[in-house]
Amino acid sequence: MDRIGGEAISSRMARRAPIRHLDPSLLLVTVLLSVFGTLMVSSTTGTQGFTGFYANVFMKHQLIYLIVAAAGLLGMILFDYRHLRGLAPIIYGVTVLTLIVVITPIGTLQLGARRWIDLGPFQIQPSEVAKLAVIVCAGAYLSLRKSEVLWRDIAVAIGMVVLPMTLIYAEPDLGTMMVFVALTGALLLVGGAKIRHFLVIGIIAAAGIFGVLQMGLLHQYQIDRLTAFLHPNPDVQSVGYNLTQSKIAIGSGGIRGKGLEQKNTQTALDFVPSQHTDFIFTAVGEQLGFVGAATLFALFAFLIWRALRIAALSRDLFGTLIATGIAALWAFQMFVNIGMTMGIMPITGIPLPFISYGGSSLVTNYLAVGLLLNVHMRRYLAP
Amino acid sequence: MSSPREVSAGIDRTKIRLAVLGILIVVAFVSLFSRLWFLQVLASDQYRQQAQANRVRRVYSEPARGRIVDDNGKVLVTNRESKSITIDHNLLKRPRVERKVLVRLSDLLGVKIKDIKTRINDVTVSPYKAIPVVNDVHNHDILYIEEHQQLFPGVGYDRIPIRKYPQGDIAAPILGYTGEISADDLKSSHFKGAQPPYQPGDVVGKAGIEYSYDRDLRGTPSVRKVIVNSTGDVVGSREVQPEKPGLDVVTSIDTKIQRLTQQALTEGLAAAHGSGYLAPGGAVVVMDPNTGAIKAMASYPTYNPNVFANGLSEKEYKALGAATPNNPDDDALFFRPTQAQKNPGSTMKAITAGAAMWTGVANPYTVLGCPPDLTIPPGGGPGSVIYHDYTTADLGSMGFPESLEVSCDTFYYQLGYDMQHQFGVSGYEGVEPPGSSPHTSDWGSIKTLKYLPAGTEKFQQYARLSGLGHTTGIDIPGETNGLVPDQKWCHDSYLATKNTQYPTCALGWQPGYDVNMAIGQGDLLVDPLQMAVAYAAVANGGNVMQPRIAWALARPDLAGVEHNVKEFQPHVVNHLGLDSTALGVIQQGLQLVVTGPSGTATSAFAGFPLNQYPIAGKTGTAQIGNTGLNDAWFISYAPATNPQYVIAVYIEKAGHGGESAAPVARQIYEGLFGIDKQITAGSGHDVSG
Repeated sequence: MDRIGGEAISSRMARRAPIRHLDPSLLLVTVLLSVFGTLMVSSTTGTQGFTGFYANVFMKHQLIYLIVAAAGLLGMILFDYRHLRGLAPIIYGVTVLTLIVVITPIGTLQLGARRWIDLGPFQIQPSEVAKLAVIVCAGAYLSLRKSEVLWRDIAVAIGMVVLPMTLIYAEPDLGTMMVFVALTGALLLVGGAKIRHFLVIGIIAAAGIFGVLQMGLLHQYQIDRLTAFLHPNPDVQSVGYNLTQSKIAIGSGGIRGKGLEQKNTQTALDFVPSQHTDFIFTAVGEQLGFVGAATLFALFAFLIWRALRIAALSRDLFGTLIATGIAALWAFQMFVNIGMTMGIMPITGIPLPFISYGGSSLVTNYLAVGLLLNVHMRRYLAP
Repeated sequence: MSSPREVSAGIDRTKIRLAVLGILIVVAFVSLFSRLWFLQVLASDQYRQQAQANRVRRVYSEPARGRIVDDNGKVLVTNRESKSITIDHNLLKRPRVERKVLVRLSDLLGVKIKDIKTRINDVTVSPYKAIPVVNDVHNHDILYIEEHQQLFPGVGYDRIPIRKYPQGDIAAPILGYTGEISADDLKSSHFKGAQPPYQPGDVVGKAGIEYSYDRDLRGTPSVRKVIVNSTGDVVGSREVQPEKPGLDVVTSIDTKIQRLTQQALTEGLAAAHGSGYLAPGGAVVVMDPNTGAIKAMASYPTYNPNVFANGLSEKEYKALGAATPNNPDDDALFFRPTQAQKNPGSTMKAITAGAAMWTGVANPYTVLGCPPDLTIPPGGGPGSVIYHDYTTADLGSMGFPESLEVSCDTFYYQLGYDMQHQFGVSGYEGVEPPGSSPHTSDWGSIKTLKYLPAGTEKFQQYARLSGLGHTTGIDIPGETNGLVPDQKWCHDSYLATKNTQYPTCALGWQPGYDVNMAIGQGDLLVDPLQMAVAYAAVANGGNVMQPRIAWALARPDLAGVEHNVKEFQPHVVNHLGLDSTALGVIQQGLQLVVTGPSGTATSAFAGFPLNQYPIAGKTGTAQIGNTGLNDAWFISYAPATNPQYVIAVYIEKAGHGGESAAPVARQIYEGLFGIDKQITAGSGHDVSG
């Protein structure tokens, strides 16, 4: 339906309650992905690696996260998303503040990084929610312009992203940083940046990366992880070992896979690291095979298509940019995460949306779905 | 807001931009999908194999090893169970805990930590089995460990089969011993290519019958496929091949005869000591001359094989060996019956006599003198040598029987010279023959020797035919060749040692070599088993037998009765090619050695019921270089009329054969024939060479 066309239909539609314009297929694919993810978390934590008590803990937590996430989704569709434009400065401020808190000693130190804030039984990872906050705030800013995109708009938008990115760099969390870069690119592309803007940004970015490497701002382990996929090294001591084992797991799954909850799989025998979180696709590939992995691809393709469709349907640029950012968020995370397990992308700590175990990521993705539904529901409402 | 048209244009541009983003996302999906297709469809088999290799390990059990039994079914080697303390490999990943546990184990069991460490570090132990570190542990210690598992993490207990030798040191070196397979063993042809293949950690025969028949004794191990996780912990297993116990080896060893033989040897050595001889060691072979079946073989000094079964350290093992390198006098691991390479002395004369008749330089009726000395070549001249008999008396003319009875040296010098002269080396092509004088050329400098046509060194040929100069083919490892010296050997040795060790070989093959060989001196080297084989051929009518210890592979039924799975047949290696007349004069001579008035062993057998159990034999007193010491030999068979046993006795550095060796044989015969020892024996009196 073209919202510029039949004015009569549009006004009739506009008179209906927004809830009548919900996108049920988006909800359905969200549910399907969540079921898929829960199965995989169960399968990767229920076998050899995590038995008894621990297996229950993971499942229990994941189900609690789902309830919280569903509540968040509900909350996200109750108000008109356009109010967020006014709230953007506050959202931005709170986000930056939280990211500052996390790198102070208040943040929990795990595996050499401060990425979490401890809230009793649960920990939250502010950088996950920050992804969505940055989409909303940068989208709000870019949708305010009245004319063509100017250099000043580009600079301010990038500046808005660079501040939280720098804080995340300090955690450190290279993977999330890369997500921010991708988000900014997508928002600028759809927000109206010109080819020459991208050229100049590209040159500056290349110079920046060169500078970062020259100044030694990256740890050697970060560089090793980023480049491991270029020269796989099966040595047990190296980063490449994880990658080799991950590829063996996926490859050995074959067409039909070895089945969920199976013993004696690469994943069940713990040959693959972080298999319920970042490397969960390894378990998908090994246990469900090509059929299962392709099904997951199809679910993601549908999800991202719905997001892009909502971006196209949105009544205003703000809605379009929100939907664009979310589509890019999911597409990028999915591509880098799965690509990492198959050896075509660098190894970074990016979770697979809806599938990886982890509350912050799950809640953020449900909030994103809520936002998409919000934009979709209110595409007939006058601002 | 701009005008509707501008908005519309803006919207359209946004859609184009969204389409660009969409295309990027499609590209991402396509690349993921193609990679997935490659991994899971195109290359899946390869990854499946890698996953398999990741987690599946094969673990082999040790099946019950076959037993070794004697001629009467008496068990010589069997298995017993040892309660052993084992250590899990996982413990080794935690060095601090490991150290504490080892200290506690050491205190509890009274074993040195160093010894436990040695067992742990034994690389031949399979990395997927718990490592047995202490054998034969008391029940209360096992209980203590089980009740205090928190103090002994990773410590377990297992019943481990250990080789047991119920007869103690009976036939120890023949039976051999077992140990974990070494890297060299794994590469050797003896172990290579077995089905199923030998694995590091396998316990295999290291010597003797245990070694020779390892493939039969070992049985078929059970094979378990073991699943391990990324840290190498075993998480599951499945048996893919059931265990099959090894076959029993049935030998011709007779425990009673073996005990008798070992006892006789020990007592014979003690007697030799009593007579003032060094007598550091000796050897005895008791064989059935008709089949080559070994009834007993003894070597002194020896060891108790049970010490090996309990895991002998490198140091303890070495202690069994020679104290001084290259001097096997006190080497318990040196098996003299098949490894001592010595001059046979006069025991050679029975072979020389055969050779003389075989080559045709003599016949059964030949009569030669026995002067006190003999000049070779006859007629003297430059380069000639005078050879002396052991006595200064002229014993007059005699035939073969008497020559053996009195062990006349000059008689055999003559035959040795005759054989050399007629069939030995007569010269190289185009070069002056040796013995012609003066020598004009240095023979050793001729690099390209043209050897004489085959069949011309006939004395050597016959010696080899009798079983000398090469292994007899007995079914235990380590047998030596000995040496029958000839022209080629002389020349090669001369060149190899650059004229230091064999200077006379520079002149080519000298008559003296054959003359010396005729009385078992010079460079001729034999072991007791070879002599037993050669005499067995004389005794049995000319068949040179392959000696054999194991005669069947068998599987015991539930009642313990052996049922043969495979039987081995006697094997005739050669025939001496002498007719019964020729053999007859030798046999007659050998009987005279024991019965004749001048026999060199007559006094040793004084009082022995020779009319009932006639003995035939030959003494030997082999001079050891210029040391003035002699090795004593006595090779014999009995009953002379219907030979059942051939006995070769060799006593190191113990004077005359009739004095030190013959009494040992006598003691064995007394036991074999059940002769009452009350009939006293003169302590052998023998002055022959």
